[in-house]
Amino acid sequence: MSQPLRHTLDATPWRMSRDRFLDSSTIWMLLIGAAALFLLLLVGYPIAYNLVMSVQEVTLGNLPSFSRPWVGLQNYRQLLADPLFLLVAKNTLVFTVANVAVQFVLGLGLALYFQLSFPASSFLRGLVLVGWMLPPLVIGAVWKWLLGSDSGFVNYALQGLGLISGKIYWLADPSLSLLAVTIANIWFGVPFNMILLAAGLAGIPADIYEAAALDGAGPVRRFIWITMPLLRPTIYALLSLTTVYTMRAFDLIYTMTHGGPLDSSNIFPVWSYRMSFELFDFGGGAAIATAMFALVLVVALAYVRSVNAERPM
Amino acid sequence: MKRRVFCTLATAGSAALALGSRPARAATTVSLWHIFGYSTEPGLINIARFNQTRTDVQIDGKSVPFGQLSQQLVKAVATGDVPDLITIDNPTVASFAGQGVLEEVGARVAASKGLAKSRFFPGSWATTILQGKQFAVPGEVNTLMFYVNQDMLRAGGVDPSKPPQTWAELTAVAAKLADPAKGKYGIGVSAIQTEEGTFQWLPFLQQSGAGLKTLSSPDGVAALQLWVDWVQKGYASHDILVKRQSEMTDAWLAGNSAMSLSGPWELPRILRDVKFNWTVIPMPVREGKNIHATALGGYVWAIPKGAKNVDAAFQVIEYMLAPEQAARSFAGGRLPAVQDVQPPADLPRGEVYAGFESQLQYARPRGPSPEWPRISEALQRAIQQAITGQQPAQQALATAEATIAPLLQRYPIEGM
Repeated sequence: MSQPLRHTLDATPWRMSRDRFLDSSTIWMLLIGAAALFLLLLVGYPIAYNLVMSVQEVTLGNLPSFSRPWVGLQNYRQLLADPLFLLVAKNTLVFTVANVAVQFVLGLGLALYFQLSFPASSFLRGLVLVGWMLPPLVIGAVWKWLLGSDSGFVNYALQGLGLISGKIYWLADPSLSLLAVTIANIWFGVPFNMILLAAGLAGIPADIYEAAALDGAGPVRRFIWITMPLLRPTIYALLSLTTVYTMRAFDLIYTMTHGGPLDSSNIFPVWSYRMSFELFDFGGGAAIATAMFALVLVVALAYVRSVNAERPM
Repeated sequence: MKRRVFCTLATAGSAALALGSRPARAATTVSLWHIFGYSTEPGLINIARFNQTRTDVQIDGKSVPFGQLSQQLVKAVATGDVPDLITIDNPTVASFAGQGVLEEVGARVAASKGLAKSRFFPGSWATTILQGKQFAVPGEVNTLMFYVNQDMLRAGGVDPSKPPQTWAELTAVAAKLADPAKGKYGIGVSAIQTEEGTFQWLPFLQQSGAGLKTLSSPDGVAALQLWVDWVQKGYASHDILVKRQSEMTDAWLAGNSAMSLSGPWELPRILRDVKFNWTVIPMPVREGKNIHATALGGYVWAIPKGAKNVDAAFQVIEYMLAPEQAARSFAGGRLPAVQDVQPPADLPRGEVYAGFESQLQYARPRGPSPEWPRISEALQRAIQQAITGQQPAQQALATAEATIAPLLQRYPIEGM
């Protein structure tokens, strides 16, 4: 084994042992250990705590201790039997799929658009990001005002354009409220999609496009055969992240409709909160949260798999 | 513990700075979670005065938004780090007490000179009792009246000096003033799917002559149909299904709603922002029944189990309800739960406060029942089903009645 050059230049014994330590396997075991401990305490503990709660009968009285009556899967059975379950599950599915799909399409469109060089393009791209910086509570309040039936701007604009004659009860109509909160959440999420996709686009080497152009590929074929395949890792990451973000949406819906009217815009996180903090049914709330966690975990695992599959062998 | 000592010193220190001469010494610190928000609120003034006059006990206050009180208390219970004293929404007392979270205070109240039962409004006193035991002391109360935009009434050809006194008159005025195409409505209530919706509709049920056990009776149906008609005929906005009471008051302040049902907590901002002539009127009664009923809101003082300074916390309660402190409530848009104080003479629009005060005799508690959240949820669902037209009022109320019946069986509620 030959000594690295720097050791011969500055070969005090202390430095040598330090460098040997830094090069050894002990150091990365320590580093991994610290990270694992961190995850175990700050991520693992709440998950385990929640899991335990979901199979117990939890009341305010026994909340501080862990010794509560075990009820097995009763909380889950009650959840499945709840007349709201199917409605909330359907709402969550529609909300998530619509958000992920539309946010992606709009985000990609914007990312491609801002890739064109026109005056102030990067400034405007920055401006689009403002939506992502606002707290969801503020966005919910603003959209609640925009979508108000009587003095809301959206109805006013649609009426002004002659598109509708009467009023649309965006939030008060149970058949529209989910659409209303979905629109607001899409607006919230598009900038995030755009910026990740823009970063992905920037990472595609320009010479590939040039070569393709020389070979006679037009913009559409370049998009289909170069942009999309090379963007795939970004897209996978983005879709899983958006799914996870959307499935835990809470503040925005809570502000806009509180899940109503008649639970028409209620999704699992809102239901879980209301179960725990308004009905004081902590076991039920925990069961919903655990089910949500399982769903999100599936998405996360799919993402990890796809990333591993992408990695060059 | 360290944090508390630090807070004590900090509080004492700043008090000493403020007064210049006070020694920085305090034996006991009462941690208090309260709903007093803005800096001039009477509750905060009372806390500051307490800290100035007492050397043996100091209050370390923390403000919590009203809507988050339950959640914060639950979190505190879960972590075992409870405050010594907390203000909580009156219908939640039974839920918390029923699950063993609150200290029983009956013996202390009985031994207290200042807290005689006779001083309090009976309705607010009732909210603190669960199965014969007392778990809290009423703090401040509120109730509902209709805020009336007199200019809108006049413009619509209604004499503001002859306000509606019955449901029929109320509906007639609302019909006359509504112009939904222009976004103007005759009447505003909150039918939101939260406790606020229950709070607003329950008085109508009680005025109808029905109760929780007779929800689907013709009387109960009439109480709900009243609201359904308002919305479906365009006298009230569809948005009442998702708007909170404060948002309904926004609409009233903007001149988009002639009469709006709300409480005295809105007075500070109304007095500041209003741009038209206005007054408040008592909730009209149902013709032929003439039953006066209105809502009873407000907070109570409660000591969570596990509190470290129960004695000192109880002294704070006694201080806050002494006439001098209680009288300050009015300026904050709240009403003291004790009957022996009057609004200060220099209060702007004192007659409005007196109006609210006079309605407290009809204010009925929600519950008390540890099952109140579920009862309330069933009511909210029925209200929304009927207003959205998903179910006729009778059918929606029959479902709610069936949901509520076993809950009442477990915990009977007197007078409901």
